[in-house]
Amino acid sequence: MDAELLELQRQFEFAQQAKSSIRLSDRNVVELVQKLQELHIIDFDLLHTVSGKEYITPEHLRHEMAVEINKLGRVSVIDLADVTGVDLYHVEKQAQQVVSENPGLMLIQGEIISESYWDNVAEEINERLQECSQIALAELATQLNVGSEFVASMLEARLGTLVKGRLEGGQLYTPAYVARVTAMVRGAARGITVPTNLSVLWGTLQQLLHEMDGASGVTVESSFFQSIFNGLVKESKVIGSLRAGVHWTPTVFATAQKECIDSLFSQNSFISYDTLNKLGISQPVQFLQSRYPEGIPMITAFAHPSLIEMLDAAVEDAIERGSWIGSLSILPASFGSQDAAKILSLCPSVQSALKGNKALILGESYVFSCGFVKSIYDCMEKEMDAFSLSGSSGGVLSDDSNLVKEVKVRNDFSKSSEISNSGNEKKKKKGKSTGIKTAESIPDDDDYIPTKSKRNQRKGKNVSSNQVSDAKAGAKKDSAKEDNLNVPSEEWVMQKILSVVPDFEEQGIEDLEMILRPLSNYMRPMLINYLKERRKALFTENTEKMKRLLDNLQKRLDEAFLNMQLYEKALDLFEDDQSTSVILHRHLLRTIAASIADMLFHNLDMHNKLKNGTEVEESQSSEPITLNSAERTALAKNFPGSLAKKALAVGEALEGKRVEVFMTSLREMAEESGLLLKKLDKKLERSLLHSYRKDLSAQVSAETDPITLLPKVVSLLYIQIHSKALQAPGRAISNAVSRLKDKLDDSAYKILTDYQTATVTLLSLVSAATGDQEEDCTSDRILSKREFLENLMPALKGLVLNASQS
Amino acid sequence: MEGWDPNTKSTLTQIPLLATKAGPRDGVAWTQRLKEEYKSLIAYTQMNKSNDNDWFRISAANPEGTRWTGKCWYVHNLLKYEFDLQFDIPVTYPSTAPEIELPQLDGKTQKMYRGGKICLTVHFKPLWAKNCPRFGIAHALCLGLAPWLAAEIPILVDSGMIKHKDDASSSTDS
Repeated sequence: MDAELLELQRQFEFAQQAKSSIRLSDRNVVELVQKLQELHIIDFDLLHTVSGKEYITPEHLRHEMAVEINKLGRVSVIDLADVTGVDLYHVEKQAQQVVSENPGLMLIQGEIISESYWDNVAEEINERLQECSQIALAELATQLNVGSEFVASMLEARLGTLVKGRLEGGQLYTPAYVARVTAMVRGAARGITVPTNLSVLWGTLQQLLHEMDGASGVTVESSFFQSIFNGLVKESKVIGSLRAGVHWTPTVFATAQKECIDSLFSQNSFISYDTLNKLGISQPVQFLQSRYPEGIPMITAFAHPSLIEMLDAAVEDAIERGSWIGSLSILPASFGSQDAAKILSLCPSVQSALKGNKALILGESYVFSCGFVKSIYDCMEKEMDAFSLSGSSGGVLSDDSNLVKEVKVRNDFSKSSEISNSGNEKKKKKGKSTGIKTAESIPDDDDYIPTKSKRNQRKGKNVSSNQVSDAKAGAKKDSAKEDNLNVPSEEWVMQKILSVVPDFEEQGIEDLEMILRPLSNYMRPMLINYLKERRKALFTENTEKMKRLLDNLQKRLDEAFLNMQLYEKALDLFEDDQSTSVILHRHLLRTIAASIADMLFHNLDMHNKLKNGTEVEESQSSEPITLNSAERTALAKNFPGSLAKKALAVGEALEGKRVEVFMTSLREMAEESGLLLKKLDKKLERSLLHSYRKDLSAQVSAETDPITLLPKVVSLLYIQIHSKALQAPGRAISNAVSRLKDKLDDSAYKILTDYQTATVTLLSLVSAATGDQEEDCTSDRILSKREFLENLMPALKGLVLNASQS
Repeated sequence: MEGWDPNTKSTLTQIPLLATKAGPRDGVAWTQRLKEEYKSLIAYTQMNKSNDNDWFRISAANPEGTRWTGKCWYVHNLLKYEFDLQFDIPVTYPSTAPEIELPQLDGKTQKMYRGGKICLTVHFKPLWAKNCPRFGIAHALCLGLAPWLAAEIPILVDSGMIKHKDDASSSTDS
């Protein structure tokens, strides 16, 4: 065994046997401190560092913080926490206490700064300022890493002492620089001679300073210029007035302005607001009223009272002469119509004339004598009569009726008469206009007589026009439409005024419209009222006529229609005989039905014309009117609405072969036109038959013509036997007679047959007599037959009359 | 050394390093190695005692120095847990690290091979291989056994696998 090895073993054993040193661990130390605090041996607060290996008292912490602040002057609270190794919470709390104890310190945005630090900074800033003449606060704030507001407040406290300069609008300036800029502002302000917006001026100065200082210069704010300027104004180094802090008006300008206005007003007796606006006065009315209390404010100008007197005299003269005047021709050219109206309202003679109804103002600036206007209006009324006639002519709807033609002829005659009258009137009017123009104040005796004769002529004309003038009736819509068509238009009235008073034309085209249109607007309502009054009277008259017409039509229609129905019943007896039935139907349509239709068509046509305003003279005669097929069609087409269609149907039915078709069409047409068709009942039928029978009996008794006796006897026999009213033409008599065979005894039938045969023979002979054959023989035979019939007449009469008696 | 805590690193740098590369069968060279081993062990022990961190006691069981025995202990919650410690020097030493045995804890923890040999972390072997032959018994104890005890003893105590010898007296006191 190696000796050294053994020695090492022994040393190792010894080392392991050695007693280890007793060391306190971190835990032991912490527990010791806590124990000491529990036993109140340590009575003060202890703070431990961030590392947890050190303890520190609050007092010592504040001491360390104060040392650091004194060394640096400005230190962040976060940096203090790093330096002292204590948690930020405790550092912040102690920082509050340090700052509150020491008045020379301040706590701003997490930094503690001492006054001495700011003093040093102020000195540095002052040195820079003296070099550069101007420094921007924003730049300083960026360098110092604090807010601009704080830098400004800090510097304000040291201006004049540590910092020799001026603080304005975020910029620092040296006194020399301020003086230089002040001189510039003063020069610029004194150089202005018109009202100027100062913002523009400051912009110019900024540009100039930029060029002087180059890129290194700081832009000067407008507020700096403004404050300098305000100072100059207060010191009265710059004379003028400042409005709203921006608009500068030099005194020199104000003086020149007033002188200009005074001279204009004194020379012209008025001044236009446009002129004042050009001179820079924004409220000319207030300005002028304060300067000239006696003046008159108007729409476009300000006037001196002398203008009123001048216009007043001119208008008064025009009114006395019974003429008209345009006030714009007397007033200055720059005046508008509204200004003229304003001055007219201030003229005493004009106002008195208006109140006394001696004058009229039209178009705001034209004064018309009432006499003048009245004379024009009288002429216009005559023109209105002619207008009525022309309207009436235009209203004619149909040329078929003779009455309508007659009315038209009358209208033409009246119109031609009117035209000649108009010519005469125009000549007289021209003479009168000349008189007015020459201002004759006293009318001659000769003038008086024509005036009276004129009135008489007018009256006569009115009476004549009433008969041929228009009338309005019917629905409101139609009436309104008619009114529009027949009422004179504004242009028409203006043309008439111009023709009556050619004097207006000399005023020129532009003025013509201004004069004529208001005058037309004034007169047109009066003319329209006049026209409406006359039309209203005519309408009333036409209404009466229409009512009377319809009443007559209804009465006659009732009578005729009842007869028609009575005759229609007799046709049933012959329904089995086709040929006879056709003959009887056609006969009835050609006679009774045609008369009914013609009466209806004619009266409805007249009614329609009255409704449309056409003057139709009422037919006084009650003679039946016969129309042919073409005439009926023409009238039917003129009827309004669906009535025309139904009327055409009636016309067609008349050309047909069935009475039923006609009856149906007639019923529809009557319904459409508002007429009533009375129904035939038993009682009415019996009374009609009775009266018809009496009538026929009387006729038979009085009849002396052997040929016409036969149909009457046959009709009477049918009434007696069948109680039917038969209307038979000649061709149907033989059939009618043969139908009576069963009803009559043999002797009566023989008499009737012989008479009918003889009648036919006689008629044949009479028709043959038109030739020149054996004249003597035919004549003799006619005479013999006639004698034969005359011999049989008493027997035939006795047959009918005896039956009647029985 | 990334996996080791700063305290272990600073301790390791203070342990003297060895220079001789020799195993138990190398005769005179092994004697020289044993001398160096004793010097480093003495320094490590003294260091621990001065730091109030003495935690083991070992000695050579035979004159050749191939078998070592002793005790180690660990303080947990102010209680000292002591275990028997033994290990053999492999014939390939120092290329191969010695396997430290704690026979008392055999079968009580998963971090142990059969026979009570502690299972070291994967960081130990590469570190040992990289520093051959500069690391010795002192280094093995510092880097191997000490971390093992710090990791496993608290778990074994908490799970009840290990009972402290003073438990009976503490119940008497309470």
